[in-house]
Amino acid sequence: MAVFDTPEEAFGVLRPVCVQLTKTQTVENVEHLQTQLQAVSDSALQELQQYILFPLRFTLKTPGPKRERLVQSVVECLTFVLSSTCVKELELLRELFSELSACLYSPNSQKLAAVSEELKLAVIRGLSTLMHSAYGDIILTFYEPSILPRLGFAVSLLLGLAEQEKSKQIKIAALKCLQVLLFQCDCPDHPRSLDELEQKQLGDLFASFLPGISTALTRVITGDFKQGHSIVVSSLMIFYKTVSFIMADEQLKRMSNVQTTPAVENRVAELMVHREADWVKNTGDKLTILIKKITECVSVHPHWKVRLELVRLVEDLLLRCSQSLVESAGPLLKALVGLVNDESPEVQAQCNKVLRHFADQKVVVGNKAFADILSESLHSLATSLPRLMNSQDDQGKFSTLSVLLGYLKLLGPKVNFVLNSAAHLQRLSKALIQVLELDVADIKIVEERRWNDDDLNASPKTSAAQPWNQIQRRYFHFFTDERIFLLLRQACQLLGYYGNLYLLVDHFMELYHESVVYRKQAAMILNELIAGAAGLEVEDLHEKHIKTSPEELREIVTSILEEYTSQENWYLVTSIEAEDMGEELMVKESGLQAITPGAHSYQVTSFLAFSKPSPTICSMNSNIWQICIQLEGIGQFAYALGKDFRLLLMSVLYPVLEKAGDQTLLISQVATNTMVAICHACGYDSLRHLINQNSDYLVNGISLNLRHLALHPHTPKVLEVMLRNSDASLLPLVADVVQDVLATLDQFYDKRAASFVSVLHALLAALAQWFPDPDDLRQLQEQSLEEERSQRPVTLENTTTAEDIEQFLLNYLKEKDVADGNISDFDNEEEEQSVPPEVDENDTRPDMEPPLPVHIQIATDVMERCIHLMSDKSLQIRLKVLDVLDLCVVVLQSHKNQLLPLAHRAWPSLVHRLTQDTPLAVLRAFKVLGTLAGKCGDFLRRRFCKDVLPKLAGSLVTQAPISARAGPVYSHTLAFKLQLAVLQGLGPLCERLDLGEGDLNKVADACLIYLSVKQPVKLQEAARSVFLHLMKVDPDSTWLLLNGLYCPAQLLPPHPSLHPLRLQLSGACGQQNPYSANVLLLLRELQ
Amino acid sequence: SALPSMATPLPPPAPDPQFVLRGTQSPVHALHFSRGAQAQGCLLLFSGSQSGLVHIWNLQTRRTAATLDGHGGQCVTWLQMLPQGHQLLSQGRDMKLCLWDLAEGRSAVVDSIHLESVGFCRSAILTGGWPHWTLAVPGKGSDEVQILEMPSKTSVCTLKPDADAKLGMPMCLGLWQARSSPRPLLLAGYEDGSVALWDISERKMCSHVTCHEEPVMGLDFDPQQARGISGSAGKALAVWNLDRQQALKVHGTHRLTNPGVAEVTIRPDYKILATAGWDHRIRVFHWRTMKPLAVLAFHSATVQCVAFAPNGLLAAGSKDQRISVWSLYPP
Repeated sequence: MAVFDTPEEAFGVLRPVCVQLTKTQTVENVEHLQTQLQAVSDSALQELQQYILFPLRFTLKTPGPKRERLVQSVVECLTFVLSSTCVKELELLRELFSELSACLYSPNSQKLAAVSEELKLAVIRGLSTLMHSAYGDIILTFYEPSILPRLGFAVSLLLGLAEQEKSKQIKIAALKCLQVLLFQCDCPDHPRSLDELEQKQLGDLFASFLPGISTALTRVITGDFKQGHSIVVSSLMIFYKTVSFIMADEQLKRMSNVQTTPAVENRVAELMVHREADWVKNTGDKLTILIKKITECVSVHPHWKVRLELVRLVEDLLLRCSQSLVESAGPLLKALVGLVNDESPEVQAQCNKVLRHFADQKVVVGNKAFADILSESLHSLATSLPRLMNSQDDQGKFSTLSVLLGYLKLLGPKVNFVLNSAAHLQRLSKALIQVLELDVADIKIVEERRWNDDDLNASPKTSAAQPWNQIQRRYFHFFTDERIFLLLRQACQLLGYYGNLYLLVDHFMELYHESVVYRKQAAMILNELIAGAAGLEVEDLHEKHIKTSPEELREIVTSILEEYTSQENWYLVTSIEAEDMGEELMVKESGLQAITPGAHSYQVTSFLAFSKPSPTICSMNSNIWQICIQLEGIGQFAYALGKDFRLLLMSVLYPVLEKAGDQTLLISQVATNTMVAICHACGYDSLRHLINQNSDYLVNGISLNLRHLALHPHTPKVLEVMLRNSDASLLPLVADVVQDVLATLDQFYDKRAASFVSVLHALLAALAQWFPDPDDLRQLQEQSLEEERSQRPVTLENTTTAEDIEQFLLNYLKEKDVADGNISDFDNEEEEQSVPPEVDENDTRPDMEPPLPVHIQIATDVMERCIHLMSDKSLQIRLKVLDVLDLCVVVLQSHKNQLLPLAHRAWPSLVHRLTQDTPLAVLRAFKVLGTLAGKCGDFLRRRFCKDVLPKLAGSLVTQAPISARAGPVYSHTLAFKLQLAVLQGLGPLCERLDLGEGDLNKVADACLIYLSVKQPVKLQEAARSVFLHLMKVDPDSTWLLLNGLYCPAQLLPPHPSLHPLRLQLSGACGQQNPYSANVLLLLRELQ
Repeated sequence: SALPSMATPLPPPAPDPQFVLRGTQSPVHALHFSRGAQAQGCLLLFSGSQSGLVHIWNLQTRRTAATLDGHGGQCVTWLQMLPQGHQLLSQGRDMKLCLWDLAEGRSAVVDSIHLESVGFCRSAILTGGWPHWTLAVPGKGSDEVQILEMPSKTSVCTLKPDADAKLGMPMCLGLWQARSSPRPLLLAGYEDGSVALWDISERKMCSHVTCHEEPVMGLDFDPQQARGISGSAGKALAVWNLDRQQALKVHGTHRLTNPGVAEVTIRPDYKILATAGWDHRIRVFHWRTMKPLAVLAFHSATVQCVAFAPNGLLAAGSKDQRISVWSLYPP
């Protein structure tokens, strides 16, 4: 918009205005001039610069009091001119500098004049613009010693403004201006970098101001947090740029000790500083005090940009003044490392960048002084750490530990200097151990019990990115903040990564042994040391650091694992239940005979071994935690070693599996997690896969531990878990260990039967599953076919044709013939079947039977034991044994030669259970009987009818009147439960045994009475169920029998020539009696 | 069985095996330890089973590294590694002696010798003049031992006792060479319970001593002390000396509680020895004093063989199809 492009034109316009201003110095005239100036082009303005400046400078120089408003407008106008022109003469620059500075100075008070804020701002801007307008090299000539007084004046002026002004704007402007004066302006108008000599000159000059600048800025920096972060940020920047410029090692090392006397007047010479060694030392000392103040104050500044600037300060000072400020290295490094875990990601990132930079440049590692300082700092931190951990709050602990972490990061491999000193290591470990103390008062941990057995079937989940980092939440004595634990873990990991692992592991292993008080913490630390040593998540700042080799690591891990899983550290008391007594509920029976009249009570008492001095809840809780920490450690070790860990499975998998079956919920959970970790680390698809692939190791542990069962009472449990997770391919292994189990069982019948019986149960269940009987499979298929068929709509059901009846009669006659002994074609079949089995040609010893399949041999051996155990005095064992027996029968069904003799031998005891035992046992015995009936019915039918049925029927009959009379309490008696058990068991059994008519009648007769409404409802239901089964065996006779009890309607003969049938024994047809209701229900089923 | 007398205090409770190897699925009849072929190769254990298989066990993983099938399902009775570390000899009841090449993961029969006797007698080798070596095998005649020059398989001689000696079949063999003399010697235990020393070069029996009432089942010899030990089907172990005149003399016998020793092996450092007992037990003795050190009860059937590793590890194979590995009195 310039209107006047040539100097001539401009001059024409400006002259009158300038003259006017020279004559009359008013605000209006100045403003008039400025307005005119705006229409002048920059080049014209440059030509006329001196001319235009004259009236303005004249106004300023006119003696006498001036109105502030006028001065302000003059300064603004001057600034305008300078902003569009260059100052090409040094003298002009100097004069303008002085004149502008003087505007704020009150000559009387030697202090800042009390002028308006606007004026101050205008002057500051003017100065700043002036310095920017200096043309080319004259700016450097400006900074010659003679300017020192004037420059010093301006600097102190600006510092005063920055420090004392209220207005934030002024403060900022003053600081900005100060930057310009100190050659720190980062605007593009100062393109040229200074050469060595220039730097030295400037440095010499600025050195005079260093005390003033540094102290004043320190006051600003450490002032009120509320003053605004930008002021602190700028002050920090000026502080470190000034200091690092004046104290730069680069400059100082070239400094001679003899002062070259510059050609200046005496007054100025006095102000000059020569930066020789003594001065550097003194100044360094003084600066250290200030730096300490600053770092302490700014480290905790609430604004992240301030903290970020502090990181830059540290970087700049440490990189450029590592020698001159060696004394400050301590506080500087401390500030830096303290910010490593800053809450602001920007600060963190910058911090890490600086640390990495330092590491790259070997600032610390390559500098012995720094390394010493760091070691010293780490030492003194280690010394005070126990106290700090004791006294600080969570926030304080957090920052202290952040510092610790930072030191470790910075020191890297040099951390060994500290660790090699026994005293240092002692301190450090003491602090770690102390702060990691767990709070073990939580009673829930001891109480929570595991109930379900099958959580092992879950496949491992991969939820976390760093699965090794997942550990059980825990509670600490000395802190609650989760982040503190994280810091501690990181610190330990760093120690493991950089430190001498042998030394550290030895040390903490010693503490582990030393006292129960340290054990958990030491284990936690050991776990992290290993994770760290493997470099799982350590960000390595120090390249080419030689890590522990995989072989060494495996060796160390092996030794730790040996300790963890040793008898005294793995088998700790975690519950009050004494191992050999409290496992199961002790059932106290009142010595009664089954099925005897009279009400009996039977009580279940929880039997706890209170007589022994019981361990406290706290100690048990502590033990639980110790086991959990060790388990977690095993998981971490697995991740640390990866596939290499597979070699350790031979010793580790067994103990972990044992804990997975622990009754304490927490332990079993953590152990399961550990197994999942092992799966991941070693590359197994699932827990089942892990167990399956390593069954040989497990079997080894199981079989060796079975030899010392008293020491390893949980061994059967491990076998159980293994069996549940194995498949038929492991049969040879299983067969091997089963021999051990049976041998041990034979040795410990009295004491450990319970745990063995559950193993036998798991074993037989596994065998039954691995070797399903072909008949059963066929049955299953038929069943599903049957179901399919039954789902189809039945259409032909009720259309019985004459042919059907004829066929039925023919069949009937044929069967009757057979029954009478007139066997015809059955002979042939019999003969066909009895062809002697083919002799194995390879068998060189024909006199010996071919060996039994392994699973049959096992089942035979087990069934043998069951015969003995069936009469054990513990009900729990008897019940379990009956279950095992049931499974044995299932497995052996296709080997009648083995099954029948065993069944024969088991029979008396089984009869005893059926007729003389408690209701629970009776029910189970019925189940076994049912299975037996399905597999060897013929064998059983006769014996059942002879040995069992009469007794059961008899007791049902004698007991019926009692239950019919009894009140509601009766259903709680043993007698009732027995009646119920027998009634529930009879029906299915009759069906499976395919009893003959006479025996069926016996059953029916005994049960009929229970169809009376006078009987307890449950007994009626059970009785109905018996009849429902009987109906399936022989619908006709059941129909007849029921109608005999109650006939709902007169049965009309199909032909008048036939007599009417009268079925109901007593009373008229349709007449209600106690049986009507149940009979009706049943008859409805028959139709 | 006799109660221990007051003079000999009860030994401390017997230790457990360090681990047990399962999976042969057949009674174990032969065991032999060897370092793998590579310099840092881990310790391997070879086991020969009744089913004719040779299992190679990696003792680091405690799992089979390989299985060799070369005896047509007939029992493997003897296993021996040749000194260079990758050739294995296996003897089977199929009357075959196989030479296996196991280098670089191979498992191939590179050579085999037809034996002329089914006998129970395990063979023996002498490798002093490697790569030439000497092999002693049961010979054609029931009482003969045949000596072969290997690897050429040339028959050196057949050692046959005098017809009237009635020693019966050779039951076990041991070849060795005294340091002072170049002449290879053969120790043989016979069916009649005697042990004989043969000078192979002269093809004559130097000495002969009857130290058992039952057939000799196994023997081992300690050349340092010129003393050997033999076990038999009976209830005694016999220790015998060899004097300068190369005469065998019974030094003493050690009574066992139960009869039957399937194999006797002295540890390579000649400190202790172990016996494989038909009574399911492994017995460990101090070799110099013959003091009983331990009775290892683990197996549930006859122990058929015992072997020591160079590092002192003891392995025992049993009819119960397991191999137990023990770490006892580490050398």
